[in-house]
Amino acid sequence: MNLKYPIWIFIVVLMLLSICCAMAGLMPMTALVYLGVLGGIAAAGLGFLCWRTLKELGELTRSLSTEKPSVAADVVLLKPLVTVLNTALQKLSEPIQTVRQDNQDLNLQLQLLRRRKNGVETILNSIQDAVLVADSQDRLILANPSAEKLFNFKFDSSRLPILSDAIDQSALLDMMLKARNSRVCHVRHELTIKADGENISFDCVLSCVTDDAGRPVSVVAILHDVTREKEISRAKNEFVSHVSHELKTPLASINAYAEMLVDGEAQDAATIRQFCEIIQGQAGRLNRLIEDVLNISRIESGLMKINRQTNSMALILRDSLEMMQSYAKEKNITIHTPPSILFDQVYVDKDMMTQVVVNLLSNAVKYTPSGGQVTVQIEVNDVEGTITVSVTDTGIGIPEQEMSKLFGKFYRVEANKNFAKGTGLGLNLVKQIVETVHGGQVFVRSQQGKGSTFGFVLPLAAAGQPAV
Amino acid sequence: MADRKALIVDDEFHIVQVVAIKLRNNGFEVLTADNGADAYALACENKPDIMITDYQMPGLTGLELIEKLRATPETASIPVIMLTGRGFDISDEQKQKLGISTCLSKPFSPREVLSTVEDVLRQTADVNAG
Repeated sequence: MNLKYPIWIFIVVLMLLSICCAMAGLMPMTALVYLGVLGGIAAAGLGFLCWRTLKELGELTRSLSTEKPSVAADVVLLKPLVTVLNTALQKLSEPIQTVRQDNQDLNLQLQLLRRRKNGVETILNSIQDAVLVADSQDRLILANPSAEKLFNFKFDSSRLPILSDAIDQSALLDMMLKARNSRVCHVRHELTIKADGENISFDCVLSCVTDDAGRPVSVVAILHDVTREKEISRAKNEFVSHVSHELKTPLASINAYAEMLVDGEAQDAATIRQFCEIIQGQAGRLNRLIEDVLNISRIESGLMKINRQTNSMALILRDSLEMMQSYAKEKNITIHTPPSILFDQVYVDKDMMTQVVVNLLSNAVKYTPSGGQVTVQIEVNDVEGTITVSVTDTGIGIPEQEMSKLFGKFYRVEANKNFAKGTGLGLNLVKQIVETVHGGQVFVRSQQGKGSTFGFVLPLAAAGQPAV
Repeated sequence: MADRKALIVDDEFHIVQVVAIKLRNNGFEVLTADNGADAYALACENKPDIMITDYQMPGLTGLELIEKLRATPETASIPVIMLTGRGFDISDEQKQKLGISTCLSKPFSPREVLSTVEDVLRQTADVNAG
């Protein structure tokens, strides 16, 4: 609406009233009424003007806060101001748009960075490797939970500790400072840290973070625990070393006696026969050793073909005893067999279980002096549903401190090595077959100089398991 | 009568026997032991010209046996050949320190043992003569 007309009307009315007033002359009451009407009209006009101005200011403010600020063309009262503003706004509109766009971009980037930061923090918190970051003032600025656990402290990002106050490992601190000062981007070190009374080996990777000018800003240390890998490597080397030694011993005899036969060093028929028997015996020993190693390896890797059926434990014992009788007779050792029992069914691989019993009987006879006794016992526990087989000898026994290592691979009791030969694989195989394959448990009791009892506990066969 | 005396030490009976036969057939007087302690006693008592010992034996090991021999004036100069199942067991420093003439890895050849024994005895005689 155009404001020109009400203003002119107002002025004309004012003039007319003034004339009327003048004509009235000396009639003050009438003049007062005129003046009252005149004042009312003036107040209404002023009110209207104020309202109109405020309204236009509101519109102007609203317009300025929009994305494309501009002022309505019908604004009258503030026209000069609007004109100036419109000119200024036109000049500013482009930079404002740019700033607004930049602001949107920055918000997007901020969101992305937040998302990336959360991702990195999740990764750092999830990995098993300990991660530490120290800045150029030797303050610890980041430590993941693995690092907190390893060095036994709680990292608080709002109160950055001095590196040496948080971590009491001088070798690691030296490595970190050296890596930062030398500005290396990727260097590996071996590091051993004592934690909970045990030495832990780490593969430590250190990297220096630099700014655009190449100045060191921080140093990152990642500690990867290689204790288990080292132990596996050591055990593998030891195993290879043991196996090669054990294989070479019979091989050396075979090789030497064959050469003696070729060279004609056996001068009579009896000696030739003895040499041939030695070769045969050593070849058998070699074969047994290879079979034992392969069987242990197959069981450990789960590749052993297992044929489990319901078998009578008494029959397995009988077969095993038959195999061992001649050896026991050679050494003048009596084997006492158990009385028969009613229910002795076990769900086992018969050949493997026979090997277990033969190994236990063979050890008992081997480590018992001539004239000794070996007793085989079999017990059924109906309540627990288990069967226990034990082989007790009157042999040389085992020192207390060696008992826990007896079932280890290639382990042989040092004090008993002179008494009989062996590879140290038999008891390990017994343990693997009983515990890994059949879910049973081996046990041993011994008294040095008096004898030993080796045995195992197996679950009884359940109803419905297939019989032989 | 044999004028050269050899002591063979190994906990493997078949190894001792085959080396003993080879050396006896070639003019040696042979003493045998299946452990380090017995070997040390035999060496002190008989002062052999040469000793052939296994590396890995229960009780006194081959290296410990040699250390004992070297520490005893009567047996300190006995030349030693070592039989070993692990070629990497003995370092050159150890060999030099203990005066081990040579090491033979198992499986070895009896011919090789005999020729090595002859070589070591010849070198020892040359050193003594020189």
